[in-house]
Amino acid sequence: MPDWVMSERSRGAWGARFVRFVRFAGLAGLAGFARFAAFCLLTAAPWVTHAQANYEIQVYGAETVPPGTLMAELHSNFTLDGQKYQIDGVYPTNHQEHETVELTEGLNDWSEIGFYIFTSEQDGHGVQWVGDHIRPRVRVPDSWGWPVGVSVSTEIGFQRAAYSTDTWTWEIRPIIDKSIGRWYFAVNPALERTLHGPDVNQGLGFAPSAKISYDFTRVVSGGIEWYADYGAIGNIASVHNQQQQVFVVTDLNVSPSWEINFGVGIGATGSTDHLIVKAILGRRFDWGHHSPVD
Amino acid sequence: MQLTGLLGLAPSLPVFGRNGPPSDDARPSDYRLEIAPVTLDLSPSHHVRTVAYNGQAPGPLLRFKEGRPVTIEVANRSDRPEVVHWHGLFIPPDVDGALEEGTPPIAANASARYTFAPRPSGFRWYHTHTMAMNDLTRAQYGGQHGFLMIEPRDDPARYDGEFFVALHDWDGHLLASDDGAMNPGYTVATINGKVMGHGEPLRVKAGQTILLHVLNSSPTEVHWVALAGHRLQVIALDGNAVPSPQTVNMIRLAPAERACVLVEMNNPGVWVLGEVRKHVQALGMAIALEYENRSGNPVWTQPPELVWNYAQFARAQASGSHADDANAANPPGADASAESPIVVPLVFESKFRGHGAMERWTINGASYPDARVAPLIRGRRYRLQFVNRSIDDHPVHLHRHSFELRSLGVPLSGARNVAGAPGATPADIHGIIKDVVLVDANTRTDVEFTADNPGASLFHCHQQNHMDLGFMLLLDYA
Repeated sequence: MPDWVMSERSRGAWGARFVRFVRFAGLAGLAGFARFAAFCLLTAAPWVTHAQANYEIQVYGAETVPPGTLMAELHSNFTLDGQKYQIDGVYPTNHQEHETVELTEGLNDWSEIGFYIFTSEQDGHGVQWVGDHIRPRVRVPDSWGWPVGVSVSTEIGFQRAAYSTDTWTWEIRPIIDKSIGRWYFAVNPALERTLHGPDVNQGLGFAPSAKISYDFTRVVSGGIEWYADYGAIGNIASVHNQQQQVFVVTDLNVSPSWEINFGVGIGATGSTDHLIVKAILGRRFDWGHHSPVD
Repeated sequence: MQLTGLLGLAPSLPVFGRNGPPSDDARPSDYRLEIAPVTLDLSPSHHVRTVAYNGQAPGPLLRFKEGRPVTIEVANRSDRPEVVHWHGLFIPPDVDGALEEGTPPIAANASARYTFAPRPSGFRWYHTHTMAMNDLTRAQYGGQHGFLMIEPRDDPARYDGEFFVALHDWDGHLLASDDGAMNPGYTVATINGKVMGHGEPLRVKAGQTILLHVLNSSPTEVHWVALAGHRLQVIALDGNAVPSPQTVNMIRLAPAERACVLVEMNNPGVWVLGEVRKHVQALGMAIALEYENRSGNPVWTQPPELVWNYAQFARAQASGSHADDANAANPPGADASAESPIVVPLVFESKFRGHGAMERWTINGASYPDARVAPLIRGRRYRLQFVNRSIDDHPVHLHRHSFELRSLGVPLSGARNVAGAPGATPADIHGIIKDVVLVDANTRTDVEFTADNPGASLFHCHQQNHMDLGFMLLLDYA
């Protein structure tokens, strides 16, 4: 994922999507949860970057949207404590409200394509269009019988220079996930590249993210999401300049048609926004008439 | 017991029970089944390593005479204990083929003989009755199923030929599903062990009347079957004649259900007999029916909707007494009309174990072996109220007895009266005798049977993953 978009995707409809979706947490009680959180904070620690902004904060699950189905999501993120200064012409992130509309259409049983519209609202700047992305994705079909869910997405798009010095970016994101009983695990070791902007010569960057969650009940899951950006491969950023962020999240599996996720994230390095709250509200729409004989 | 020469060692084989006239342990076997690993070629590109009877799936068709004692020798060449369940027969628990009832297992690489007097007549089947748990290659997920025809002393049916057809799903793997838990999904579906286009067609002649015996041996899936260009006259369900045979466009069979249908061969051509739902037929569940002197690609006509209703086969009017129904559902000698049936509510619920696991199942709040009901009283009529408080449909099966359907699909809000509160009065139906019934999600279905076959009798959901995870109850006699 581009460093300015902390992404994480999981399609949330109950069945095939739900399970592999954002579930988290439980961790055998609060003590275990606290220990795990501390572990994540300590080991995933450092990071940074300028122009860091969070528009889509989500760890992708391997499932794709079924064919004939549109997943409409609204990502709402507010930076409670972020970058307070304008750097290289990029607006500060502090107290920015980001609303991102994501529309994903299932193409067949193993692929989908998504579109993003990024917006930002901030005192002094009003509501601004930030940019757009397109993201095709394919996955390993269930019929292959792999023991883990695997998919790969690639995302390309533009964002205005006022919100990111790198205006054209590309990302490829392997996605691996697994549900075991009440536990859910997902890893997104994403690679990203700047196509236009100051970092165009830096090559591939490494921006992994991961999630672990626990099903407290059929409806309520909770967990931790971790997002990092280590900078260019072969030239890993100093701890201060890496991005490291951990979210405590909950997912509400109220219906196969709905996706609901809330989280609070803490940034651990000087280049990371220090406190963000996020919410994802998604609704699945089936196109046309689906006959029981189909 | 290790066997090197089955027939030579036959006199020393353990014998699982008898029914009817006494038999000698040294009695020679009438039939022989070998349980052994095999690679089945479902199609040139689909090969399944599984365990089957006599190297084939479905296993060999066994035809027994009603009431005539029979001995089946079973050699277990697999690496695990096995047991063969004779589904739909009224036979003693030690030979019925359920470990829970007390049928002894056949150890790996050992043999045993089952001896019993088969009854009642009709289309039954035999299959393994072991557990698979998370291994979706074992038990009913594999190839251990076969047709069993108990021939009546007098067969009133009129037909020119008969075909046995088994529906099965293969290559299961766990998938997330809309109930929020993991459930088996399949990549191949077959009729008689072959993907469409790779098995021998059913060959018929114009003007014939054929009798199709259709079995759903799937471990978990309900199937809908139609024969393009033809209609199906349903004359029996689960091997028992229905009071009102009806001609329908398709039949629906839950796991373990059977239907016997007459078909007039009055539309010459080459047709598809297959699953109605496109995505299942695409997995291979279809077979060609070919008229004599006709050739070409099989033709399929897609029905626009799924239609099925058990009640259409019921007696037109509730004119018969309970005694009539009881005698139809149970062996002669039952006197079930004297008293009102004893009502036994059985509430089905699931226990969530995580989105990454299959659900656990309970009957009246407890899973097997903790689920309990009062012992049955011999000779009494019972009304089982199946209250399905889950969002899954359940094909429930009662061993060693048949039951009569009495009400179907009553919305669950009206089914709360099982706890004592008044509720909707379900419409009574009569005369449909079965041993499996599909209880729709969030509904109640009532059945009645007469307790006239003493001994432990297992009741369970016939979905393999459900029975594996607690959906069983042992009924015993006082």
